[in-house]
Amino acid sequence: MLNIYQPQKAKIIAVNQESIDTKLFRLRFLDKKTQRDFDFIPGQFAQIGLPGWGECPISFCSSPYDAKKFFELAIRKVGNLTSKIHTLKVGDMIDIRGPFGNGFDLDKFKNKPLILVGGGCGFVPLRSLIIDYLNGRIENTVLQIFYGCLNEDTLLFKKEYGAWNRQAELSIILEKPSKKWGGERGRVTDLFKFSKITNNSVAVLVGPLMMYKFVIAELKKRKISEENIYLSLERKMYCGNGVCQHCAIGPYYVCQDGPVFSWSEIKEIPGVI
Amino acid sequence: MDKKELENFLLQLSDRFFLFAPQREDDILKIKEVENIEDIAWSTEMPINSWKDIFLPPEERLFENVKNNLIESKTDYPPIACVGVHILDLKALTLFDQVFGPDSYYQKRRKRTILIGYSTDLSADYKKHKVFSHNFEEDILEHLAFDVFILKLKNGPLKIYSGSEKGQNILEKFSVSSYQNIEFAGPIAEKGPDKRMLLLKDKVDKSFNKKIWDELDKICLACGKCAIVCPTCFCFDFNDSANPESASRCRQWGNCFYNDFSKVAGGHKELDTVKQKIYFWYVHKFVRIPHEYNLPGCVSCNRCSQVCPVGIKISEVIKSILN
Repeated sequence: MLNIYQPQKAKIIAVNQESIDTKLFRLRFLDKKTQRDFDFIPGQFAQIGLPGWGECPISFCSSPYDAKKFFELAIRKVGNLTSKIHTLKVGDMIDIRGPFGNGFDLDKFKNKPLILVGGGCGFVPLRSLIIDYLNGRIENTVLQIFYGCLNEDTLLFKKEYGAWNRQAELSIILEKPSKKWGGERGRVTDLFKFSKITNNSVAVLVGPLMMYKFVIAELKKRKISEENIYLSLERKMYCGNGVCQHCAIGPYYVCQDGPVFSWSEIKEIPGVI
Repeated sequence: MDKKELENFLLQLSDRFFLFAPQREDDILKIKEVENIEDIAWSTEMPINSWKDIFLPPEERLFENVKNNLIESKTDYPPIACVGVHILDLKALTLFDQVFGPDSYYQKRRKRTILIGYSTDLSADYKKHKVFSHNFEEDILEHLAFDVFILKLKNGPLKIYSGSEKGQNILEKFSVSSYQNIEFAGPIAEKGPDKRMLLLKDKVDKSFNKKIWDELDKICLACGKCAIVCPTCFCFDFNDSANPESASRCRQWGNCFYNDFSKVAGGHKELDTVKQKIYFWYVHKFVRIPHEYNLPGCVSCNRCSQVCPVGIKISEVIKSILN
C-alpha cells in the first residue's frame, strides 16, 4: 500500500531572487520517471518540505506544459521552513508531495473575458494561467491582469511584464511605492477605475483576505456574477488529503475541495474571508 | 455460549493478542489492558476514554530522518484484541475505517487488531439513542466494522456473531462453532443516510448567527478535553524532531481548541475566538463528516459532556440549534 505521506526528492536546478523576500525555485524530481509522469493544473499546490523542518503548502507557478521537464515554485521567506529553503542553492534538494487540490477549471474560462486579480505574494499561481494564456492554451479569451503590491521591492516576475503586456492588459498598482515610481498608487481595486470590465467576465482572485472583501464588492458593482468570481484560499495544512482538519472551512477542505472556490460556493461560510 | 465459555475463549485469545477492555477503576469504567479476564466489565455503559488511541496513537513515528532522507519508520504493530467494544464505539471505528482508508499506517495497525463488540439484548438503551431501529442484524450489525460480536440475551446466554473473515477464523481456531455470520454491507443503511443526521447538518451549517455560540463563547474554556475523549475526533499535526539522535517526522493528535491549530507562519490564526473554535468543532461533527461520508460525525456517546469542566452538554447545544 502506497504511503501517501512519503515525499519525493526534487533537485533545485535554478534559483532566482524575485523580490525582497521571495525566491523562484526551478525544480526537477530526482527520479526521472516521477518527473516524466508528473502533471498538475494551474492553481494546484505542493506540500514542500525538508526533513527536520516540516512541510508547508506552496502553489505551482510554472506551466503544466513544462511539467514533464521541471516545475517552479515562488517561495516567500516567512517562517522557519521557508527561511531554511532560502539558504538552499542549485543542486540542493527539496521534498515534494503533490500536486494537491482542484486547481482552476480552465473549461469555465473559455469564451469569456478573463480577469486576474493578484495581491502581494498571492499573485504566484496566476503566473501559471498567464503563461498558458500567452501560449494560446485558454481558448477565446481576452486577459486583464490587475496586480497590487506594497512597493517595487515586493513585485514578482518583473522580467516577464513586457511579454505579458504584449498579449494581455497588465495594470500594476503599489500601495507605498518609492518616489521614483511613475505608475499608479493605491489599492488593487483602484485600478478598476481605469479599465473597462465587462459583466460576462470571469475573475480569479489570489491575495490576502482583506483584498478579497474589497475586490468582490467592486466586481459585484460591475455586475459580475458570484459564480464567475473564483478565489484561491490559503490555510494551515498538514496531510493534503482532507483528513488532518487544519484547512477545513464549513463542509469543505481547502487542500482537496479547494484551494480554488467560486464565491457563490463559500460566501455563506462564517469568517471564510 | 455461556460466560465461562466466553472467558475460556478470551483466555486462549490472550496467548496471541494483547487484550484491551473496559474495566472498573475507582468506579469509573476505563479501557485498559487486561490482566485478569474476570476484570473485564461487561457493560453497555460508556467507558470514559475511547478506543481511538489504539488505532491513532497520540504520537506515532511516520519517518526516520536518515541523512536528510525520510525513510518510513519500521514499526512492529502489536496484535491487539479490543474486547467489549460498545456499539457506539464500533460506529466511531467504522467511520475511522472510512477516514483512514488510504492511510497505510492506520491500515497496518488496523490489520493487527481484532474488534470484539458487546451489547445486551435490545433494550431501552437503543431507543434512547434514536439512531437504532429494531432489526438488530440488518439495521445495526451489517453496517458496523467488527470481527466478533457478543450479544447478551435477556435470560443469560450469549449469542455470537462473526463480522469478517478474520473474525470467523478466530472463532473457528478456538473451537467456537455456534455463531452467525454477518456480511458487512457498508457503513450506510440501505434505506439511505440517517434522516436526523441530514436535518442536523442543515441546521448546524446555518447556525453561526444563533446566540448559542455567543453563550458558549463566554463559558467554554477551550481546554480541548471534549476533543481528546471524542471517539470521532481524529485531527492531527506532523512534527519533525530535529534531535540528531532521533531525527524523525511524527504524527501527533491535534486539537482545534488550541491556538496552534490554525496558526500560520507570520502569526495569523483563522480560529481566533472561542466562538470560532467551538463552532468549528460542531461543524466537523455535524456538517463536515456527514457531507463527506454520509455518516454522522457524532455517535452520541456523550463523553464530551462528561468531561467538560464547565458543564457544556452536547445534547442541549443541539436542542438549542434545532429550536
